[in-house]
Amino acid sequence: MSETARAVRAAKPYRTISAAALVRKLGPLLALLILCGALTGASDRFFTADNLLNILRQSSVNTLVSLGQLVVIITAGIDLSVGSILGLCCVLVALLMRSGVPPLPSVIAVISIGTILGAINGVLLTKLHLPHPFIPTLGMMNVARGLALVISSGFPISELPSGFRFLGAGTIGWVPLPVILVLMFCGAFHVFLSRTTVGRDVYAIGGNPQAARLSGVPVDARLILVYALSGLTAAAGAIILAGRMNSGFPLAGVGVELDSIAAVVIGGASFLGGVGTVSGTLAGALIMGVLRNGLNLLNVSAAWQTVVIGIVIVAAVWVDILRQRAAQKS
Amino acid sequence: MKTLLAIAMSVTMLISCGRRSETKSLNITLVTKALDSEWWQRVKAGAEDAAKAHPGVRLAVVAPEREVNIDQQVAILEDQITKRVGALAVAPTGAAEVIPVLERAHAAGIPVVIFDTDINWPSKVSYVGGNNRRAGQIAGEYIVKLLGGKGKVAIIRGIMGVLTHEERVAGFQEAIRTAAGIDCVAVQPANSERALGLSVMENLLTRYPDLLAVFATNDQMALGAVEAVAARNLTGKVAVVGIDATREAVRAVEAGRLAGDVAMYPEKLGGNAVEAAFKAARGEPVDKRIDIGEALVTRENTQEFLR
Repeated sequence: MSETARAVRAAKPYRTISAAALVRKLGPLLALLILCGALTGASDRFFTADNLLNILRQSSVNTLVSLGQLVVIITAGIDLSVGSILGLCCVLVALLMRSGVPPLPSVIAVISIGTILGAINGVLLTKLHLPHPFIPTLGMMNVARGLALVISSGFPISELPSGFRFLGAGTIGWVPLPVILVLMFCGAFHVFLSRTTVGRDVYAIGGNPQAARLSGVPVDARLILVYALSGLTAAAGAIILAGRMNSGFPLAGVGVELDSIAAVVIGGASFLGGVGTVSGTLAGALIMGVLRNGLNLLNVSAAWQTVVIGIVIVAAVWVDILRQRAAQKS
Repeated sequence: MKTLLAIAMSVTMLISCGRRSETKSLNITLVTKALDSEWWQRVKAGAEDAAKAHPGVRLAVVAPEREVNIDQQVAILEDQITKRVGALAVAPTGAAEVIPVLERAHAAGIPVVIFDTDINWPSKVSYVGGNNRRAGQIAGEYIVKLLGGKGKVAIIRGIMGVLTHEERVAGFQEAIRTAAGIDCVAVQPANSERALGLSVMENLLTRYPDLLAVFATNDQMALGAVEAVAARNLTGKVAVVGIDATREAVRAVEAGRLAGDVAMYPEKLGGNAVEAAFKAARGEPVDKRIDIGEALVTRENTQEFLR
């Protein structure tokens, strides 16, 4: 005990300098830990291995979609189409397999389709000069959902091959496979955003698009890539959801766009662009998953869960603004 | 630091809303498709009344935000399995999508009663519910009779992909097929919403001025359609028939604005689902199928449904 105290005291000068940065970085994670602590006290079922795995499994689709949304929000954009792209891909992958295409080529085809739909969002934004990403992605949101309903005639397509279902419902040892896939995606996105030039370009565009353009960043190409990545993660989410539910259903992913935006914002990214991390978004998605799970265990109705998540979103952004003001003063 | 405070505060607030249920009593959870309409609120009320008859039973009624949130219902079910409730009564939002999680409940030894919407899952203890296809047929037969077997009709339906609406539409179409003179000119979606029911009906009346009857697959849309009919002074000339017999709809039937409605008895549905789950949790035998029944509501018998 005294040893740690001494260590803390020794480290203090260094810490005071970066305290604000540290809180920003660890804020969402600390909030997550406090939340888990509170729920452990409230329900004796919460802190069990079984339940924690449940939370990870339940959060996997939202986390995946949020990664794409994060990259978009870092460029000061927004992608409203992710839920609908997820629904369309869910139907397509089920239809492909029903018509006899083996699981692997079906998955590859659908991931490509999702990526292309996302890229179309980017092309519409940059080449048609639509005024704000809200417009092309709102259009795509309606088009993709409509197509999902048309292609499936409104009916779910169920009984998918077991090899495919493994992706969403399988486990390796005791770890659910979707959790492993999501962690791999998180790792890849983290490296992309923080260790590659293209990733740094993404932050630059969000920070100041004019400056980025003047310093030679190919802004349009980067934006198309960013929206394509968002389409890709939505399609990956569709694969996991279809596997988990053993069905491709046209209403899959309704509301996912808002959940993913919430996770990104709770995770400390700024709508003004240029700010946001994979670890923050992961914590944001888990905070939402833990909240929903804990409230389910306490039999709190979904309506109240929505109220709480709403409060958390507003609180998170409010703190973000307070932090920015403090930074400007100092 | 303030994020933490805000979150900690919301959590404390919520924990005080939730109840701790760690007693020795029997926990039964009724999982509905949503709780956002009169229908589900009446199912809930019926379930709570039935639970009161058994002092040892602790009933929880939970649901996803909206009927389309199938994955949210799956998450709720997973969490109920974690809680090891004594029995589950489930109104499935998806016919196939909930089966994997119900299999897990079954494997964990939790008996599952299906209610409201049947699914093809052999391990269910029982199906408690009305027959949506039959309800659609009743509406169809009534419209055939009203029109004397001749004329143009249309369907205003709920969201595509939701089984209840698919079955109601199929039953209706089956019934009107028997009358060669009835021509179904359109099937239009209005997402179970009243405002959309109104605008879809306006469009239908513009497109088909000789339309004689409309079947709406729930009362919200029927009540919207009725407004469009009234705005054109066509009340009594264009017949609108709904399903669910919500109080508002039955009053509209009484006033002659709705030509008829099909009653589906939500309180009885919730009550019987809880009874079946209670019996199953105690290991007592339960009928494989418990029929709630459905009935035609017309101006002659509205009093029976307003009590």
